[in-house]
Amino acid sequence: MSNIPDRSLVSLIDRVAIRDEGALKGLYDHTSGKLYGLALRVTGHREWAEDALQETFLQVWKTAADYRASLSPPMAWLGLIVRSRALDQLRRHKAEREHLTDELDDVLADTLEGDSANPMDTSLASQQAWALHQCLTRLEHKQREVVSLAYLRDLSHGELAQQLKLPLGTVKSWIRRGLDQLRACMAHFA
Amino acid sequence: MDLHRHPELLDRLAAAYALGTLRGGARRRFEALAREHAPVRAAALLWQSRLVSVNELQTPAQPAPAVWTRIDNLVRAERDRTAMDAARQDSPAVKGGWWRSLPLWRGASAAGALSAVVAVVTAVGLRDDLGSQIGQLQAQLATTPQVRYVAVLNDEQSSAAMLVTFDPKQQRLTLQRVSGFQEAADKSLQLWALPPGGAPRSLGVLSNEQLLQLAAGERDVSGVPALAISLEPLGGVPSERGPTGPVLFKGALIQKML
Repeated sequence: MSNIPDRSLVSLIDRVAIRDEGALKGLYDHTSGKLYGLALRVTGHREWAEDALQETFLQVWKTAADYRASLSPPMAWLGLIVRSRALDQLRRHKAEREHLTDELDDVLADTLEGDSANPMDTSLASQQAWALHQCLTRLEHKQREVVSLAYLRDLSHGELAQQLKLPLGTVKSWIRRGLDQLRACMAHFA
Repeated sequence: MDLHRHPELLDRLAAAYALGTLRGGARRRFEALAREHAPVRAAALLWQSRLVSVNELQTPAQPAPAVWTRIDNLVRAERDRTAMDAARQDSPAVKGGWWRSLPLWRGASAAGALSAVVAVVTAVGLRDDLGSQIGQLQAQLATTPQVRYVAVLNDEQSSAAMLVTFDPKQQRLTLQRVSGFQEAADKSLQLWALPPGGAPRSLGVLSNEQLLQLAAGERDVSGVPALAISLEPLGGVPSERGPTGPVLFKGALIQKML
């Protein structure tokens, strides 16, 4: 995967909108690693993440013409589709989820206890993502982790507490403080 | 309360709304306010567009190469289907429903019956020993497939393309290609049952032979009014996904009473 400027991605999406199969392949080559990483983080399951990635590119193939109207940076638009399709996968496999979250919990518990922050990756990140990245790096890593997870997996306070095996009050206060700091920081970027 | 007159509270609620942690009644009240007041809506949209960047900050990983192959197959199938739909719209041919195969099937059946009679008459005429001939015919009958269901699948021009018969004794479907159609090397034909009010159910993927058989139980075909054949990526697609490629041939499945 390479770092290519937004305008190259936009022009690829424009070409996909006019049924250019080569452009779809180009877009896949440049973004699949990044998008798969996201799908993997949402689902925690390789197979589901691959299904989400497949559905994402089929959706892009069908709806690329709508991209411009979204006024979004290309990776933000693609990321939103991946997250939605990955959340679909999670819902679809809800029965198996109970058993799956055990594994996720272990990984997360390590992340939350350790000093090392879950590394954020800024390859292909849009300017707006850089702003959020700046502000997220100022949070304590456990706050950053619960805020990110709440968003990525669309979890309520209660579900977060359950998945992370933390008291509800703790999760609530981490989220509240995390969001307060994020709000103060993001205000600088207007 | 005029939420839009309290910027600090509005910002906090909009951030929690976009994060997804604002739930239940509070979420519904916020949504109602956003519909009524543009500043509330704007605050929500601002936070949604800020937080969407969380998606962009995740560590990349390498998907299996098969993922692209699957996408490519499905995109090609979709393109073929679109091309075929366009061709159909240009074609002056009258749109044919599946019932169009009925007269055809009757014709085929009558021709079959006639040829059987001719065969018997000829055989009897040629041989004097009627007794041994009857014994031979009885033996033949025992091994002859007991056809219970028949379908002639037609293409869009209502030309017969595939003859399908089901033999409950042998538990199998026999398919005979009757037109010159041959799928490309990277494609497979897949046979589907079209149950009333239900999703298509795969009955199997066809090999590229002229005459082929698929294992099937009576439950797979009883009560199914029609069969269809779609063009799929090589090896076919899982049944639960339904046909992804264009439907090439289709026809009524008829239970034989004779």
